[in-house]
Amino acid sequence: MRKITFKIHRFDGQKSWIQEYTLDHQPGKTILWALIQIKETLDPSLNFTASCRHAICGACAVRVNGQATLACETPLDKMLKRWESDTLILEPLQNFKLIRDLVVDWEPKAERLAELKPWLMPKDEFNKESGCRQSPEDFKKINKNSDCILCGCCASECNKLSGNNSDFLEPFVFAKAQRFVADSRDKNPVERLSAAINHGAWKCQHCQECVAKCPKGLSPAEDISNLRQEAIAKGLVEHSGVRHAKAFLDDIKKTGRLNEGMMAVKTDGLVKSIGNIPFALRLMSKGKLNPAHMFPKPIKEVAEVRAIILAVKESEKARNIAIAKRSEAHTNPDVQRPKEAAK
Amino acid sequence: MMKYAFFPGCVLEGASQEAYTATTKVAQALGIELVEIPGWTCCGGSHLQDYDKTAALAVNARNIALAEKMGLPVLTVCNTCTLMLREAKHELDNGAKELVNPALQQAGLEYTGTSPVAHFLWMLIKDYGLDKLKKKVKKPLKGMKVAGYYGCHILRPPHIMGFEDHANPHSLEDLIRALGAEPVPFDARLKCCGFHSVFTSKEDTMKATGTINLSALEGGADCTVTPCPLCQMQLDMYQPEGKRAVNAKDDIPALHLTQLIGLALGYTAEELGMKRHIVNTGILLAGR
Ligand code: SF4
Ligand code: SF4
Ligand code: SF4
Ligand code: SF4
Ligand code: FES
Repeated sequence: MRKITFKIHRFDGQKSWIQEYTLDHQPGKTILWALIQIKETLDPSLNFTASCRHAICGACAVRVNGQATLACETPLDKMLKRWESDTLILEPLQNFKLIRDLVVDWEPKAERLAELKPWLMPKDEFNKESGCRQSPEDFKKINKNSDCILCGCCASECNKLSGNNSDFLEPFVFAKAQRFVADSRDKNPVERLSAAINHGAWKCQHCQECVAKCPKGLSPAEDISNLRQEAIAKGLVEHSGVRHAKAFLDDIKKTGRLNEGMMAVKTDGLVKSIGNIPFALRLMSKGKLNPAHMFPKPIKEVAEVRAIILAVKESEKARNIAIAKRSEAHTNPDVQRPKEAAK
Repeated sequence: MMKYAFFPGCVLEGASQEAYTATTKVAQALGIELVEIPGWTCCGGSHLQDYDKTAALAVNARNIALAEKMGLPVLTVCNTCTLMLREAKHELDNGAKELVNPALQQAGLEYTGTSPVAHFLWMLIKDYGLDKLKKKVKKPLKGMKVAGYYGCHILRPPHIMGFEDHANPHSLEDLIRALGAEPVPFDARLKCCGFHSVFTSKEDTMKATGTINLSALEGGADCTVTPCPLCQMQLDMYQPEGKRAVNAKDDIPALHLTQLIGLALGYTAEELGMKRHIVNTGILLAGR
C-alpha cells in the first residue's frame, strides 16, 4: 500500500513542533480529506478550520510545501505530482497571527480591512423611490472582485507583507478598496483612495504572488495598479511612486528608452538622491553608470511612438464615452430605455 | 538556423551591458540569429501601467507589431520585459486589438498576433533543446554549485506567463544541470528581490535582497544565476545594502543566465563582462 506522509506544523499556544502522520494513499482525494482523516483516525487534537468544502467559505486555506492554497479544492494527487514526493509539509498561512496548529486569527485582519471602509456609501441621488441602479457595464467593473472569499491565500504569500506589515495592508484589502472605488453607486472614492495610498499602495513589490495564489481569480496586484492610477487621476500625486512611474512615460515620449541614470533624481529629487552618491560611485567604478548615457539619443521613430500613444488614448476615450452613454441610458430614469419607448 | 526578433530592453543598453554581450556571444556560439527589433521602445518596466495603462498597451503593441513586420517571433532576455509584452499581447488578443490597430496603421504597422513572445530560457528549452545545448558545452561547470533564482515575472502571474508550473518550476535547474553544474535548493528560490519597490520601500527591498543572497549561501551555492537582468542588478549592485539589512557576512556573485551558459560554452569571464560586477566573481572562477 502506498503511504503518504504529512509533516504538519503544530502549535499549542506556546511551543511549536512538526508532527508526522501517515495515511494510506487513496486516489481522487483532497488535502482537506487528509486533514479530516488524520483528525478522525489518528489524532483528534489536530486543529484546522473548514466549513463549506466547496471553495466558498474561505476557511480552509493552508500552506502546502510553502504555497498557500484552499485545502478543500486542492487535489492531493496534484500536490504529490507537483512535488514529486509522497511527503507533504502542511503549515498555517503566513502573515497571520497563529492561534493553534493550522488555525489563524482573522480578528486583526478584520480591523485592517475596515481601514478602507469596505461598504457601499451610496450617492445622494439614490432614494427609496428611484432605487440604486447600476448598468451591466458598471456591474462588470466590480463583479470579479465581489468574488473574494477572504481566504487569506494572497496575504500569506505577499512579499511586501512578509517584509513589513506596518505600512502596508493585505492584498485582499486593496482588492476590496478597488471594488468600491470602481462602484458607480459609491460616492466616496477619494476617501478610499487616499486611505489606500496612506496604507502603502505604492509599496507593493509587483511580485504577483497574490494573483498567482488567489483561488477565485482575483488580481489584487492589478487592483493596486488601478488604485494608483485612480489616485493620480484624483490629484493624489505627491508620492515618489508617482514620480517613478511617470518617469517611464516621460522617457518613452522623449527618447523611446529609459534613462536609468537620471531615475533616482526624477523619483527622489536631487537632494535626496545625493544620499545615494556612494551607490552611484560604486556603479560608476564598474562602468555600470555611464555619465555618457545620462542624455541618450532618441530613437528615430520617437515622434511615431508619441503619435501612437496619443491615438490609442483618443480611441479609448471615445470608447469610454460610448459605454458611459449606454449605461446612463440604463440607470437614469429620465432617459427612456428603448424597450419602454416602444410600448 | 533559428532566428528571432530580439527585444533587448533598456537595461541591457545601460547598467547591464554585460548581459547584452553575453547574450550575443551565447547566441552566436549556438547558431541562433538575433535581429534586434529596429526602433523598439522601453516596455514600461512594470511601472508605466500604474501611471498610464493605455500607454503601456500602446507602446508594447507597437513593439510586438514591429516584430510581426519582421515576420519573426519575439525573444526577450528580461523577466519584466517578457511580462509587459505578454500582458499587452494578452489584452490585444482579448479585445484591445481593435482599439490599437487604427493607431498602429498610421505608422504602417498592425498587430495580428502572429509573433509569440518568449524568454531566452524558454527558447533554449523549447525551441533549441537542452540535449543539443549539452553537446555544445566545451567546459562543463563541474563542481559549481548554483542557486537558480527565477525572479517573479518569469513565472507570475501564471495566466500570462504559463511556461511551467509557477509553484514548482524546474527549467532553470534543468538548464544548470545541462551545463554540468549542480543546482542547489534554497528557501528563497521563488521569492521576490524587491527591485520594483527600491524607491518606494527601500528597507523592505534591501531585506528581500539580503534574504535571497543569504538563503543561496546557506543552500551551499557558489553563486546565484537569474534569467532577469533586473534581479541580477538587485542581487549584485545592492548586495552591500542587502547584507547589512540581514546582518550577513559573506558575498555571493550573481550571474546573468547567459553568463553562466557562456562560461560553459568556453568564453572567459572577461569576455562575458564579469569585471563589471559589483561582487567579485573571482572566487567562483578560480581554477577554471
Ligand atoms: S504583487 Fe504586491 S500585493 Fe501582490 S503579493 Fe506582491 S507585493 Fe503583495
Ligand atoms: S483576494 Fe483571492 S486570495 Fe485573497 S482573500 Fe480574496 S479570494 Fe482569497
Ligand atoms: S523591463 Fe526594464 S529593461 Fe526591460 S525594457 Fe522594460 S524598462 Fe527596459
Ligand atoms: S522584484 Fe525582482 S524578482 Fe520580483 S519581479 Fe522584480 S525583478 Fe523579478
Ligand atoms: S472549506 Fe470552505 S473554502 Fe474550503
